Amino acid sequence: MTPILQIKNITKRYGGLTAVNDVSFDVRAGEILSVIGPNGAGKSTLFKLISSFVPATSGEVLFNGERISSLAPHKVARMGVVRTFQETTIFRSMTVRENIIVSHHLRSKASLLGFFLGTKQAKEDEAAFAASADDIVDFLGLQGIRNELASNLPQGHLRALGMAIGLATDPKVILLDEPFAGMNHDETMKMVGLVRRLRDERGVTVLLVEHDMPAVMKISDRIVCINFGQKIAEGTPKEIRENEKVIEAYLGSEDAAIGM
Amino acid sequence: MEQIIANGLYLGAQYALIALGLTLIFSLMNVLNFAHGQMYVFGGFVTYTVVVQLGLPFIVGLLASAVILAIMGAVIEKFLFAPVVRRSKRDESTMLLAAGIAFFLDAVILLLFGEKQRGVPKIVNGVFNWDMRIIMPYDRILIGVLAILLIVVFIAFMNYSRAGRAMRALAQDRMAAQLMGVDVARYSMLGLALGAMLAGLVGGLLVTITGVNLGMGGPTSIKAFLMIMIGGAGVISGAIAGGFILGMMESVGLTVLSAYGDITYLVIFATLMVFLAVRPQGLMGKPWG
Amino acid sequence: MKASRLLGFSAFLLAVFVLVPLFIGATGRWDFFYTLTSVALLSVGAAGVWLTFYIGRINIGQGAYALVGGYVSAILVTQGGVSFWLTLPVAGLFCAVISILIGLPILRLRGVYFAMVTLVLTEVARLSALALPITNGAKGITSIPLPGELSVFGLTIIPAFGSLSNPRIGFYMMAVVLMIVTYLVLWRIVNSRLGHLCRSLQQNEELSASIGVNTAYLRVLAYAISSFFGGIAGAMFASIAQSIYPSSFVVADSVNFMLYCFLGGLGYVFGPMLGTFLLYFGWDLLSIAREYQLLIYSGVMILLMLVLPNGVLSLLDKKEGGK
Repeated sequence: MTPILQIKNITKRYGGLTAVNDVSFDVRAGEILSVIGPNGAGKSTLFKLISSFVPATSGEVLFNGERISSLAPHKVARMGVVRTFQETTIFRSMTVRENIIVSHHLRSKASLLGFFLGTKQAKEDEAAFAASADDIVDFLGLQGIRNELASNLPQGHLRALGMAIGLATDPKVILLDEPFAGMNHDETMKMVGLVRRLRDERGVTVLLVEHDMPAVMKISDRIVCINFGQKIAEGTPKEIRENEKVIEAYLGSEDAAIGM
Repeated sequence: MEQIIANGLYLGAQYALIALGLTLIFSLMNVLNFAHGQMYVFGGFVTYTVVVQLGLPFIVGLLASAVILAIMGAVIEKFLFAPVVRRSKRDESTMLLAAGIAFFLDAVILLLFGEKQRGVPKIVNGVFNWDMRIIMPYDRILIGVLAILLIVVFIAFMNYSRAGRAMRALAQDRMAAQLMGVDVARYSMLGLALGAMLAGLVGGLLVTITGVNLGMGGPTSIKAFLMIMIGGAGVISGAIAGGFILGMMESVGLTVLSAYGDITYLVIFATLMVFLAVRPQGLMGKPWG
Repeated sequence: MKASRLLGFSAFLLAVFVLVPLFIGATGRWDFFYTLTSVALLSVGAAGVWLTFYIGRINIGQGAYALVGGYVSAILVTQGGVSFWLTLPVAGLFCAVISILIGLPILRLRGVYFAMVTLVLTEVARLSALALPITNGAKGITSIPLPGELSVFGLTIIPAFGSLSNPRIGFYMMAVVLMIVTYLVLWRIVNSRLGHLCRSLQQNEELSASIGVNTAYLRVLAYAISSFFGGIAGAMFASIAQSIYPSSFVVADSVNFMLYCFLGGLGYVFGPMLGTFLLYFGWDLLSIAREYQLLIYSGVMILLMLVLPNGVLSLLDKKEGGK
């Protein structure tokens, strides 16, 4: 069985600086895979490369064997690979529910003209989106704030909303950008539970980029560790925990306190 | 050929000075100053009033333009831009304000100085003639040199003075500058004052050569926008480059294209569109400003 | 909610089609017809500008499309002998097509950059009108015949304007109908999925792309619709004035279109209509102030900006709380 996502020799150079250097790994369908690394290791560049928001200098990303790395972002999303951003990227002046409804765009069967004219199909679509949005609101436990304006939400809720937006697109693979950043222990544990249910109950493959080590250890099926733009290790949480290169990378960097 | 280059340099120096003021205001406040052309015209009229009506020396007129426009800029920042920036939901609101100020200045100019074209008599006589290759009146040379001098002073000020460095920090990252203890309100005000002063100075310089009239404000603003689009908005080197490039293009265009009628600016605009399609941030700008 | 909306709409129709003509008839201020016709047409153009705001772009180039639309209609009517009623949609479509060609590269620009390019666009249109042979240079196109009869299957829908005893009322009615249709279309766009997607674009283009929205396509689509509105407004203007010159729509007009939207409120579909009415009608009324007209006008504008930086319609927010 081919992996759902294949990252092949991907490299990104900015001028003379190599941010990501010849990184390869596979993501298997239905797993939770985390990419970790010290600050400045090239995690977020790698993330942007995989979601095709930044063109790669060389190498490619395949989704179910199809090349997605040079496609426009909306086409990547259309294929079922969807990224969520760090917390600030939501539609700020929409309510939580509006955020989720508008993100159902990919599921619409009616054309834009159909929506304009209010055809039967369009009405069915809108009703379906609304129902699905409520479903997602329940799934993520956002009932209490569904009609809040997104710009008024606290950070924890924003993160959940970001995930809700991702879910609304009905993704096969969801890419999460630092889902635990800035969270306290309780919030992190809650989020860990959510990400698990995402996979278990909705069957979504999860690829996340993160540097909160305890959370990553808890949640991941497998982990890829990068440093200075290069992959230095890959394996189960146990293997990674014992990998000397990983320990060295973290000790040699500023966030030495990884709390393993 | 030499003549075209000389004309281009002369024009470019004036343009660069106008663009510098505009880009300074833009980088500090993220405000596109629609009233920049009007400030320029206002400066011209002030110099005219001082020199022709009061009979004082040209340099006094120039200084008066600088001081009055600087005060005007500071007042506009403190009482108009700052409150609107603070209270508006969108950045764009400042644009409406700037457009309103442009109209307002037009109205003030009309009431104070009237509709007539005004000029100041030549400040120096004679024509420089290099073997018929470059022919240029001495007053143009003087004004051109003065403009270049002002550009140099401005760059030195931005690079070496405390205030200049503070403003550059502010332009780069407002938040960070604030955290570093830069008094944002004060330097925003100073920045607008300085930008307006530059516009006024160019007005004062050019009133001796081309004169000024009420209708010049809008077109001058558009030219200034062109320059900062060419060079990249919010970048000092970009404004200077944009000014000189536009000056050159105009100078070349007026000579080469004159046979085809008045299409120089049409060609310049069309070139700019193509250029921006390839390089949206201009020559030296950061992407998305 | 539905009923109150219907009531409001009926009241509006009653006001513009019955009360206004009655009022003008009673006061004898026939010039108001001309002013209000202009308000209606300008608000059609402003509707377009507002739509580009809705996708997060500051459009200061509507004057260009109004000018192009005016010329297309004028040239077709005077040189091709085409019926004005046919040239109206043709002018709109022509502008839409041009705007697609121009929009493809420039809609990638954001913020002030886009604003500046569109501003330059108005100058390009004016200079082109001066330079092209077909537009007749600075002399413009004059003595455009009034719109003829519009009939479908021999049934007269609109009588020839030349045969009307008072064409001013005819133009007024026509312009108001055009305005109402435009705003119904705009309202429908905003309240359908198309509008929701536009809003998503306005708020966050990256996120919009990552939920699968073809942002480039949507931007061009919105801009084309916007320019269509500009084109038909310009065509109608040329027909009413029976002339068009390169200076018929200049940079100041483009800026004004933008101001109408701002002043009414960018968050409200009917904002541009109200903004156009207040500013244009206000300007007209201020003519009694003579040389102080511009001073008072711009002073009030600045004052409004200070008091209501989010538009006049933001007053409603405080009362009702939200939309």
